[in-house]
Parts: sequence; structure tokens; C-alpha cells
Amino acid sequence: MDRIYEIACELSSIPAVSGREDMGLHRLAELCGDYFDRYELTPVGSFIGRIDCGRIGAKTLLFDAHFDEVGFFVSEICEGGFLKVVNIGGIDPRILSASEVLIYGKRTITGVFTSKPPHLQEPGESEKPIKLTDLAVDTGYLKEQLSEIVSIGTPVAYKSPVERLQGDYITGKSFDDRICIAAILRALEFLKEKELPVNIAVQFSGGEEIGYKGAATASYSINPDFAVVLDVTNAYVPDAPDYRKDIKIGGGGSISYSAKTSRKLTDKTVAVARKNGIPYQLFAEPNRTGTNAGAVQTSRGGIPTVLISVPLKNMHTANEVVSLLDVYNVAKLISELAADGGIDL
Amino acid sequence: MIKTIERYCACISPSGSEDEIREQIIGDIKNHATSWEVDETGNLTVFKKGAKASGLKILFSAHMDEIGFMIKYISDEGYLYFDLIGGIDRRVVAGRRVVIGGNRITGVIASKAIHLQKPDEKGICVPISEMYIDIGCTDKESASGCVSVGDIAVFKPNFEHFGDGLIKSKAIDDRFGCAVLVELIKRELPYDTYFAFVTCEEVGTDGAKQVGYRLKPDIAVVFESTTAGDIADAPKSRYACSLRSGPVLSHMDGGTIYDKALLQYIKNVAEENNIEYQIKNVIAGGNDSSAYQKSGIGTRVAVISAPTRYIHSANNVVAETDLESIRELASALLERGFINA
Repeated sequence: MDRIYEIACELSSIPAVSGREDMGLHRLAELCGDYFDRYELTPVGSFIGRIDCGRIGAKTLLFDAHFDEVGFFVSEICEGGFLKVVNIGGIDPRILSASEVLIYGKRTITGVFTSKPPHLQEPGESEKPIKLTDLAVDTGYLKEQLSEIVSIGTPVAYKSPVERLQGDYITGKSFDDRICIAAILRALEFLKEKELPVNIAVQFSGGEEIGYKGAATASYSINPDFAVVLDVTNAYVPDAPDYRKDIKIGGGGSISYSAKTSRKLTDKTVAVARKNGIPYQLFAEPNRTGTNAGAVQTSRGGIPTVLISVPLKNMHTANEVVSLLDVYNVAKLISELAADGGIDL
Repeated sequence: MIKTIERYCACISPSGSEDEIREQIIGDIKNHATSWEVDETGNLTVFKKGAKASGLKILFSAHMDEIGFMIKYISDEGYLYFDLIGGIDRRVVAGRRVVIGGNRITGVIASKAIHLQKPDEKGICVPISEMYIDIGCTDKESASGCVSVGDIAVFKPNFEHFGDGLIKSKAIDDRFGCAVLVELIKRELPYDTYFAFVTCEEVGTDGAKQVGYRLKPDIAVVFESTTAGDIADAPKSRYACSLRSGPVLSHMDGGTIYDKALLQYIKNVAEENNIEYQIKNVIAGGNDSSAYQKSGIGTRVAVISAPTRYIHSANNVVAETDLESIRELASALLERGFINA
């Protein structure tokens, strides 16, 4: 699990706000290119890697995790060195006041979201809804200096180094979905010396947070026979809806049943988990999974897809929390699924 | 001085738990002070003998404590519920990283994911009583092994230079004030001077009340952080003060109407030394001056403040030039010894 922590630290820090995956794609390729026989970068910001098993007529199993992260784009450079920003992906404005960000301009600079001082607030204002438009990013530069560094459209993301909590918990930004990239890379390490019954293709897809476009296009390009989509899922926290109560951090990967994924491949995944004694949990999300699964499954003539999720807390915040043990178990599960090979549905 | 501020800001010393910062300060001043003592409630007072006595008992004061949190309850799920130490806008709390207690346990103030929020919850920050800290424990027993009810927590130390000469960190309020005073204690001073590093400013200026009672100064000058409202979308008339415009002097705030002659004296000294200063243009906030002013038979008080954005948050923002100017002004005041102030 220390190995997963190591990979997670590296991956979490790569800038790749949806739509601007180009900023981090080469760094990603540097980190994981060696895992593959060959790889390519796609025009919409995805990384595609392939490992051939050498068997004639072998089928191809796809692992998908998305590479992009939620964040912001600069929308206005204001007097006093402040930036107005718009959100890219679902951002909760409640967690932004006085928090730190990195601004990926000509050079990377630190910024702090404003928070309105008490003397400027109306009575009871802190109990009212806050909007992103109420805030700005303080860069500490004067406007003229700032205009040299950033422009409209410059991406901004949380600044939040990965850190260990108690036990095997860790916290940091963009575990959605970098932690699943870590799981895939760890799975490939497990499979390294093994003879594979299938070819493995991997897509670290761009654009998930803004409509799954990277997954749709990369899957089209890869044309796999089966796919495993890895994403994160909201673990139960106090005051969350009751139906999430059984999604627990530490309970292993959450395997989803959905009309948008393949029931046969899902059953198969559950069977492989049981056979190998790998902890898992089940989740039902019939219509919409909010992941790449639907885009992959409907690619080309249809690709049987299973969705496995790492339970996570504080999704889309600077301090997402996951368990390394869950990530390890997901890595184990997908490596066993690949090694099992009997994915004839 | 900036390095000292960084070291002081890293201390985990909210109100009532000032031991760590006090030890740091004592380590820095013990070879320079004429005498120093720590009183029963933790205030550190220092006397520095000058070349001569000015005839006035002059006190320079800064507070050691910072805003923070105290653990109130450990839930069956291993979450830590807490309350605030000092005044903190709930909107700067959710989603931040904290350090808890002497063992420096890292925790995250949880924030329910946007996906799980009901429509009427969106954008509305939950009250502090419903917030909790996640340290990675999943039950009460394991959490109780690391943390106890009554343990304190603060925002995770995060000192950093950024922008054009700005600094951001937790607790610049008022560790910068402590650092300014320490700088002065290290020098040879022309006049006898008292210095106080007080506790519990953030919970009601408690330390200053005690120090004022004991020392009975003729003049108390408080070095503090004050809210700068010079941010995007704020009207200039309501800025209170601005970064990069020098030390902030006050006529009046939420706790004190300041000594008029003393304020004029400080302005004169600033002008004679070409130190740019600004006057706080809103009546809000408060500091240890209110305690000194009311102690014993009363004390003449003044405040010299660093304009600070996002005060009482994880990221106080100040300009280095303002801090340097405050040090210069403090130094110039001691040179003059408040003669005829």
C-alpha cells in the first residue's frame, strides 16, 4: 500500500483541469509510459496504453479511469490582482473561502480565494447561500503584473498536497479519479510477470467531468471487447441519503449494477472477487452512474462494461479522503479479472 | 523577522494553549531581556532596561494565541465534533485541513460532497455544530486512542510567500506582532520598556486584562492584525484598510476609543521618519487595547496594526512591506521614548 501512496502522491499533483488535460498529459506519460508496450496521446486529452498478450485472436480488455480533475478557468482579471473564475465540473462554493489554489499561467502561482470580512457582511450573511461569483482569487500581484502571467481561460486548481491520515486513509485533491489511475497502475504491476489471456488496453481519459468525451473517443479508438471503468463513489457520511449507508470506506471496491453497464460482466466481476476473497461492496444505480461507464458501453457497436468504484469522502473538494486498502483491493480485483481471462460472456 | 514569523506561525497555540509559542519566544528573548516572567495564566512579560528611564512606564503588547477549535465529542463513527475558539466565519472552516493536539494528528474538516446535497442545502454552509473532523478512524475507540475531548486544533500550518511581496499563513494574527516585539527586545534600547506576550486575546482579551492589572503601564501600544477589506467587489469606502499602505492607526474600533494625543504623537513620529501610515476608516473589530484602557485606573492606549486580508482563516494575507514599516515605526517610537507624548 505504500506503493499506491507513492503513485497517488505523484498523480494527485499533476495539473489537468477538464479541457486542459494537455497541461499534464506529458507528465502522466512520463510517469506511466513504461508500463505499456506502446502508448499514444489523443486529441481530446486522453492517454491510451496497450499491453499485448501475444496470443493470436486474443480479446482486448479495457481499463478506464479519468485523468481530468475539477477546477476553474479564469474569467476576468480584476483591479488589485484578483481573478474571477468559473467552475469546471461540480464545485461546492461552500468550501472555497480563504482556501488555496494554484494558477497555471505562464508560470504557476499561488492564490487564495477571498473571504468577505465580517464588517462587510450583512447580519446573518454566513447562513445564506454563497456563490462562486461572490468570491475571487487573490494572487498578491498588481493587475499589470498579473496580466503578464495569466489570461482569460487560464486553469486554476486546488492546492493540496497528499497526506496520510490515521490507519490507511489518505487525503488530497483529485483522487477523483487519479486514485483509480493508481489502482490500474498497481494492477499492471501485479500482472507484470504473468502470462495474460487477453490484451490489455488502458485509457486515462480526459473530459469526464464535463461529459465523458475522452472516454467515448478513446474507447472508439481502442475498440475493446470488454471494459472495466474505475471511478470514485461517495461513501456514506453523516446526513447523506440512507441508501448510501452500505458504501463504506474500507469495504473494498463498490461494484455497480446498472442498466448502463453489463450485468453479465458485473456478475463475473463479483464472482472473481468472491473466488479470490477480495472484499467488495455492491451498489445499484439503474439509470445514471455519473461515470464513463455509459460512454464506454455505448461506444461503437457496444462494449460490455463493468463499473467499479473506490469509495471516497468529500468528493470534488481539496481534501478528498480514501483508504489505500480499498485502492489495493480494487487493483487486486481488476488484475484477477484480467488474469482470469474467461470473460466469455 | 519574516523567518521568525514563519516559525511562530507554525506553533499550535490557540487561546488557552499558548505553551508552544511561548517557549519559542522565551528561547528567542532570554539572552536579551533584562528580566522576564510567566504569570499564573501564561502571559509572558519582559522588561528591557534602556540607556535611561523615560519617567513613563511604556508597554508594547502582542497576543500569542490564535483562533482554533476544541474537540467536543467523538462519534461512534470516529468523527470529531468541535466548537470554535475565538470568532471564525463558518464559511472558512468547511473543507480545511487541521492539526489536532500535541500529537499533531492531521484531520480534514469534512464537507458533504456536492452530489449528496439536497437542493435547499446548496451553497449554505452548515453550522459549526454540524461540522466534524475526519482523522481516518472509523470508530469511537480508535479515534479516542489519538484524540480526547478537550483537545485543541488549529488550521494546518501553511506559511508561504506569494504574489508580489505578500505572505499567507494561518496565525499571522498575531504572531507577526510577537515577532516585531522580539526584534525590539534583541536591540539596545534608549529607554526602559516593558513587553507583553499575552494569552487569550481571541476569547475576550483575557491575558491583557491580567497584564494591565499587574504592570499598570502609563502607555500601552498594541501590535495587532486588523481586517483589510481591500478585496474584489468591496467598496473602497468600506476597506477599513489596505495592504501595502503601511501601518494602520485607529481612532476608534469596536472596543476602544483611542487616546487622541497618543495617536497624534505616533502620527508625528511616523511622519518625521517618512513612514507611510493609514487610518482605519471603519469602526469595527477590537483588540487588547480595550482591556489595557480599562485596567486599574486606566491606561492611555494606541494600536498599530498590520492590514490583514482573510483574518481568522487558514490563510491570513499580509504584505511584507507593511510588516517592515511596523517594525520601523515601533523602533522609532522607542527611540523617542514617548517623551511629551
